[in-house]
Amino acid sequence: MRRALLAITGLAAGTTALVVLKGAPGTSQAAQDRPVAEAPVVPGGSAAPGPAPGGVTPSARPGASAKPSAKAGASRAPGTRTSATTRVTTRATTAAPRTTTSAPKVTTRTVTGPVVSYRYGSLQVRITLSGSRIVDATGLGMPLDGQSGLRSDDVQARYSGSSGEVVAKQSANLNTVSGATYTSTAYKQSLQAALDKA
Amino acid sequence: MTYQDTYATGRRTGPSAPYGGRPAAPVPPGVPRRGPGGRRALSAVFWLGLVAAVLPWWLATPPGSLADTTGLLTAAGRITGLVAGYLLLVQVLMMSRLGALERRLGGERISRAHRDVGATLLVAVLAHLALLVVGYARMEKNSILGQVGALLTHYEDMVSAFVAAGIMVAVGLTAVRGVRRRLPYELWHHLHLTSYLALLLGYGHQFSNGAQLYEPGPVRTGWIAAYLLVVAALVWGRLIVPLRFNLRHRLRVADVVAESPDTISIYLTGHRLNQIDLLGGQYFRWRFLNPGCWWQSHPFSLSAAGNGRWLRLTVKVVGGHTAELRDLRPGTRVWAQGPSGTFTAAHRTRERALLIAGGSGIAPLRAMLEELPPGAALIYRARTPADVLLHNELDWLAQARHTSVWYVVGSRDDPGPRQVMSPEGLRRLVPDLTRRDVYLCGPGGLVEEAVRALRRAGVPRRQIHLATFEL
Repeated sequence: MRRALLAITGLAAGTTALVVLKGAPGTSQAAQDRPVAEAPVVPGGSAAPGPAPGGVTPSARPGASAKPSAKAGASRAPGTRTSATTRVTTRATTAAPRTTTSAPKVTTRTVTGPVVSYRYGSLQVRITLSGSRIVDATGLGMPLDGQSGLRSDDVQARYSGSSGEVVAKQSANLNTVSGATYTSTAYKQSLQAALDKA
Repeated sequence: MTYQDTYATGRRTGPSAPYGGRPAAPVPPGVPRRGPGGRRALSAVFWLGLVAAVLPWWLATPPGSLADTTGLLTAAGRITGLVAGYLLLVQVLMMSRLGALERRLGGERISRAHRDVGATLLVAVLAHLALLVVGYARMEKNSILGQVGALLTHYEDMVSAFVAAGIMVAVGLTAVRGVRRRLPYELWHHLHLTSYLALLLGYGHQFSNGAQLYEPGPVRTGWIAAYLLVVAALVWGRLIVPLRFNLRHRLRVADVVAESPDTISIYLTGHRLNQIDLLGGQYFRWRFLNPGCWWQSHPFSLSAAGNGRWLRLTVKVVGGHTAELRDLRPGTRVWAQGPSGTFTAAHRTRERALLIAGGSGIAPLRAMLEELPPGAALIYRARTPADVLLHNELDWLAQARHTSVWYVVGSRDDPGPRQVMSPEGLRRLVPDLTRRDVYLCGPGGLVEEAVRALRRAGVPRRQIHLATFEL
């Protein structure tokens, strides 16, 4: 029994230690901020200094400005969400020099919609625009696991990306993904607000 | 050598005629040692597995994502979930009767580990459930109960997962010693068997909802492989190996002999008995295939070392099952599973040994005596002279293998036994106590008391080997 108590204490201590170590702000913040911090440099130098940093920085950390629930959603966005962030920013950076050489007036920028809470969590949509054309879209802070995670994945797969429905339709008038009504609605809502802002 | 003021009657020089017409066994140079290396390797594998189970979470969680309470709760819930999943597999694996485990760990250690891991598993499951429900409820701004409802209705495989958790709670509660004593053995046993169901029912939700497991990839594949391995071990250890053993050896009861008013020896014969890889002190799980007993399986040690002609177990009649064994007829088929256990001469760390037996605990020690190098010592505690079993054989072995035997007769509170079972008393009987391996077999009380005395006398823990009656 003594050993069992020891093991249980070990379990509690181990779990706490893992969570605390992982959540330690020192290492983590630096790692997450780096791609964000680097991002504004290139577009800022190439064409539009104003909107690009303003658009990218808050959107990369949706939790900071949003409600705690949104943050929780974002917190479970491990590799995939961070890579989404980097993917968008790098695409923006690689696209930027090319656009400056061919058509100097066209700028790439990102616009982020508001956080929309829905039944299974909360999300916000960020779109990347090249001029007035949407070239990419992605949902941020969506639940990553559980059934809501699966629904989010369905919605994400249908709507987001440079070949998703958002880019295809260039509007928030999307078909609802079956089995993911709440998530689809929230996505469209945030997307519409982002389009209004753009 | 007679010990004053005790009932210890000193070393007996029994009749020189060997028991049962068997010649005194030639002194083999000692059975090959199976040191603690295997055990250490197994425990290393266990810890590596635990790390491997939690590692996916560590790698997949972005640093800095755990800044608020909800994130912390769900993260902790996820870790405890992974740990619980892993421990459940370990639990079932330990009960798979896999030869590799039973030879390296031994029944005593396995059942102790099973109990400890079980308690930890139950706590991990409950923590996993509580943390995730609270975490999700906060995230989705639900009440706790509302969240449980949402989990049950909107999430795949969650109903079965909750049932699995319920089974584990029931099994865990009935395993608490106080509760278990009050339950009939059969009820406890059947409830315990339902934990295999928990393995099945808990399986689904890990893969349909688990943050680390639902995405195809090496992690998911690894978990599924672990599941398959455990199930394979279960089938192998519980079905295939025993089936092969029994088809090969076809054991039957040859004779039932009364050793004392409440102790019987059962002699078994069969085919190819000389091919069983058997060490003195090991036990089998026996199933006597007569109408009254076939569905009960009980572990009993062999009370004679392997001799290629017969096997013998010596059993004290304590309960209904053992009373029925008294009426076994010669020719009854026997289903045996084994041999298992690390309570053997091969697992000693020193050259010499001291054996301490209580009552019918003499059985495995008697078998082991034949394989220990000469110079061993045996202290035999018995309540009354009639409780001294296998008396003639012990005297014969004492002579043939130069073993000192002391019979310490009397109740626990008599001055003699009390004096002998103290650090000073033991040291006076066996001056080189600390340089010997000590093998203890008997009722729980005696074993505990003896361990305490031995530890106080300075015997290192790894030199003490236990076989308690309690399962």
